[in-house]
Amino acid sequence: MIMITTTTMVTMTTTTEAALFRLMTWLSPSFPVGAFSFSHGIEAAAEAGLLTDRAGLVEWIGGVVDFGAGRLDASLFRLAFEAARGEGSLEDVVETADLHRGTSELALEARVQGLAFLDAVLASWPNPRLQALAAAARATGRPVAYPVAVALAAAAHDVPLGPALAAFLHGFVANLISAAVRIIPLGQTDGQRTMAALEPVLASAVARTLAPGPITPFSSAVMVDFCSMAHERQWTRLFRS
Amino acid sequence: MLHRRMNTLIAYPAPSRPDADLPRVRQAPGHALAHIAFRGRADGSTGLADLYQAAPLRVLRPRPLEAQVAEAVIANVGGGLVGGDRLDITVAAEARAHALITTQAAEKVYRSLGANVTARTQISVAADAVLEWLPQEAILFDGARLDRQTRVDVAPGGKLLAAESLVFGRSARGERFARGYLAEAWRVSRGGRAVWADALVLDGNPLAVIDHPAGLAGAGALSTLVYVGDDAADLLSDAQDMAAAVPARAGVSLVAGVLVARVMDRDATVARAAFKSFVCAFRARALGRLAALPRVWSC
Repeated sequence: MIMITTTTMVTMTTTTEAALFRLMTWLSPSFPVGAFSFSHGIEAAAEAGLLTDRAGLVEWIGGVVDFGAGRLDASLFRLAFEAARGEGSLEDVVETADLHRGTSELALEARVQGLAFLDAVLASWPNPRLQALAAAARATGRPVAYPVAVALAAAAHDVPLGPALAAFLHGFVANLISAAVRIIPLGQTDGQRTMAALEPVLASAVARTLAPGPITPFSSAVMVDFCSMAHERQWTRLFRS
Repeated sequence: MLHRRMNTLIAYPAPSRPDADLPRVRQAPGHALAHIAFRGRADGSTGLADLYQAAPLRVLRPRPLEAQVAEAVIANVGGGLVGGDRLDITVAAEARAHALITTQAAEKVYRSLGANVTARTQISVAADAVLEWLPQEAILFDGARLDRQTRVDVAPGGKLLAAESLVFGRSARGERFARGYLAEAWRVSRGGRAVWADALVLDGNPLAVIDHPAGLAGAGALSTLVYVGDDAADLLSDAQDMAAAVPARAGVSLVAGVLVARVMDRDATVARAAFKSFVCAFRARALGRLAALPRVWSC
């Protein structure tokens, strides 16, 4: 009895650690998806004087997570994860994730990172399930958007949905903060305080996305769209969005 | 007789109903339908190919701004939309049609007791047809619930300029859209293949998003326009210049070959004027039309 329990625990721990390592690698700023080159409209928002300090940044990113791309991509993440496990249509999720991009640069952001992510994971963590899922996703003839790519990899590698989604959203927010620290500019400590302040927002976003029931992808961060549109014509640009 | 009546409806704005703090339910929830199809004639003009209307929608045919562009004006003689109403409008621009469709007045969406107003618009444009879908705003009363979807399909070679506008509360009386529900969705296809979609949702506490700096930044009104056509990419730069010239927040992008523009302002009147000036400039540049909108838009 004790033996069995121990064995089970060891197995679980091993799985959990492997999942944790992969999440940390895949969603670290050094993973080669080019996240550092995208500001998701923050460069234009700062240029327009809409973002000048830490409090404003916390509010802005909080909105993006609650009802902007964070909301949209979290929904797509869950739908893609479920589709990977046979619950729902993978084609529909790939299509929805491809279509729902408000501007050309926001579309670029989702497409470039999704492509790079799938290539990098398939090359370094060979996995027949992910290979099959990626092939099915690509058979739609559409680019596989970043949240869908990460969700498929997580599902194929038996990373549980909750931690995978939390890590994905955390990576998204950390990248926005990193961009904002360079653009506004803010001190490194202010950047970390922003992250700390946004932890509860992230936690509630994860909880909301995992809550049972149907889920509808949307984004209502209209000002992010406006900023992204302005960014296309911004004279001096460090970022691709 | 009928002609007189149409002119009356077009020339004057419908009398506004007496104000009341809690809008009354004016009619039993209903299913309103309109189907309008235009087709080009051999002489280059455009005529009706098909028309079906069911109360409270009525399709009017005013004298057009330009002789070669057929116009239709959809009037909701019911006087507004209440929770539970369903509105289905289908519009088709068939071979060689050049047509413009608008609405007779801004659509009032009254406070709902719980049910949504469901509005579905389906637009198709043939290969060598040009269509403009330029309805006036939906005014969301406090407590309104609107679920609106606009789906368009444009064949390669066809052109579509389509817009939808929203006003958040009756601003003239200080009302805001503080409670209620809004789902405003677009789906754009080219030759049957979906290329762009958008969904904006305000649920429960709309002001949390309307007043948020990353949301609608306090907007009183928002318009979304799409232009679908083979030449969309060539128009981007000019459209961006036009957006920069209007007296409100405006922007343009080209996503998956679709030109997407948004206009908004804290003041709904300013947003409307900016929208009109953008559309006038854009239709002149993109479609070679007059830089003007049908008369119902000037009320």
